[in-house]
Amino acid sequence: MDFKPLVRFQDVHLRYGNGPDVLHQVNLTLEPGSFHFMVGPSGAGKSSLLRLMYLAHRPTTGRLSLFGRDVSQLDRKETSMLRRRIGIIFQDFRLLDHLTALENVALPLTITGMPLEKVRRNVSELLSWVGLADNLDSKPPTLSGGQQQRVAIARAVIGRPSLLLADEPTGNLDDKIAERLLFLFEELNKRGTTIVVASHNEALVNRFNHPVFKIINGEVRLIRSAPVIEQNTESGAA
Amino acid sequence: MFGSRNDVPLDKDASSRFLPWLIAVMVYLATMSLIVALTMNKLANRWDQGLSNSLTIQVPAGQSPAERLAIEKKTVLLLQEFKKIPDVKKAEMLTDGELNKLLEPWLGKDVVLHDLPIPLLISIELSQSSARTLDAINALTAQNLPTASIDDHQRWLGNLLGLAKIIGTVSLLVVLLVGGAAALMVILVTRMGLAIHRQVVELFHLMGAQDAYIANRFQLHALKLSMAGGFAGLLLAGLTIAAFSTLLGQANSALLPSFTLTATEWGLLLLIPVGASLVAMITARLTVLRSLALMP
Repeated sequence: MDFKPLVRFQDVHLRYGNGPDVLHQVNLTLEPGSFHFMVGPSGAGKSSLLRLMYLAHRPTTGRLSLFGRDVSQLDRKETSMLRRRIGIIFQDFRLLDHLTALENVALPLTITGMPLEKVRRNVSELLSWVGLADNLDSKPPTLSGGQQQRVAIARAVIGRPSLLLADEPTGNLDDKIAERLLFLFEELNKRGTTIVVASHNEALVNRFNHPVFKIINGEVRLIRSAPVIEQNTESGAA
Repeated sequence: MFGSRNDVPLDKDASSRFLPWLIAVMVYLATMSLIVALTMNKLANRWDQGLSNSLTIQVPAGQSPAERLAIEKKTVLLLQEFKKIPDVKKAEMLTDGELNKLLEPWLGKDVVLHDLPIPLLISIELSQSSARTLDAINALTAQNLPTASIDDHQRWLGNLLGLAKIIGTVSLLVVLLVGGAAALMVILVTRMGLAIHRQVVELFHLMGAQDAYIANRFQLHALKLSMAGGFAGLLLAGLTIAAFSTLLGQANSALLPSFTLTATEWGLLLLIPVGASLVAMITARLTVLRSLALMP
């Protein structure tokens, strides 16, 4: 197993414009193949932390490394290539209403220039796996919330990302479906994908045996280490 | 995507509806300006060729009929001398009938020219105008008829050619200004598209799409719209020119320009919508790339 950290924050601060620190002195390390939860109340900074990880923002100060690369040293092409290794599930799904489910899921592959026939085959298989085989040509507005969420998940994992970031993926779901979704993430994790799930639902998170970071007022603390993480002294909050 | 659909939904924007019309108007104006420039150039060439090879010599006829007769004899002799000059194609004195025709608008019909001190007019046509030929004509005239004056049309021809040149230059400037205005409009429309689809663009960006991929979506859209608008504008300009040609054909005046275009000139006009579309495409691309460069 490769123990080179997949994500590493070193004294990272983030602020928007001239505002106060949204994230304050963040030090954390995520190993490849790990599964972490981020909990905390709304507005605590969970989404901001994820936005740093999917390169929507850069740290105001401090150093952030992804896949062993300091993000401040990346040029635009390298940044694009790195982003292709990251799957994102947005809280609001961000599906494109004018495209079909198949086309939405295909986006991460089409932007890489993969031949359309291969894209279609891969996407059809994945949509069947998430139970949407009959909805390939449906557009998001005609799908239920749960179906839209599965399209969003399929889109996030179609490119076989090394890192999957999910921002409040269980936000609008009842407990049973939310739990099933997290089991699905565990399946992906078993296949080697590093998972980070941000959620405000601590009760749900506590049903799973994975390390949990709590974010309060922009400060990140490891509040629970899973056994597998505890054995690894390099990981977790610094 | 799998069909011909653009994965950035630019087709539904309000800007997509008005951009082809704006481009059509711009291409129409540019085409008309270019046609004016081409026509003025041709007209100037026609005037230049028609008049620079001709001269008119005006010989004061004297007060009495006897004096006029004597000058007429001298003039006939001078014409013989002119014909000996190599580049003189034709040298003749205007007949009374031709003079009457020239004066008819001012003096009316049936004027007896010999009763009036109307000057004699010599018309000379040269096969090729050169300083040596003009010097020879000047010298012969001064020697035989010192009171005669030579008009080689250069003064008013120069003014006309200058005017034609100015009109042509202004027309070309209009073409450039129209091109600039079209580029500005494309910048505005592209920025509008970027603002409307900011979330979509950001999504592509975060999924790892390279800037060129996103820019392609906008540039192809701009190309498609401007091609449609551009060729509509060219068609409209073609119809306008056809209408003008019909009207000018009916007027049948030698001074008025003819709007008959050669194949090369039509090719040049065809380049306007193509050029406008390329300008729109490149402008859209650069605008998007510039905006994307501001994203982390």
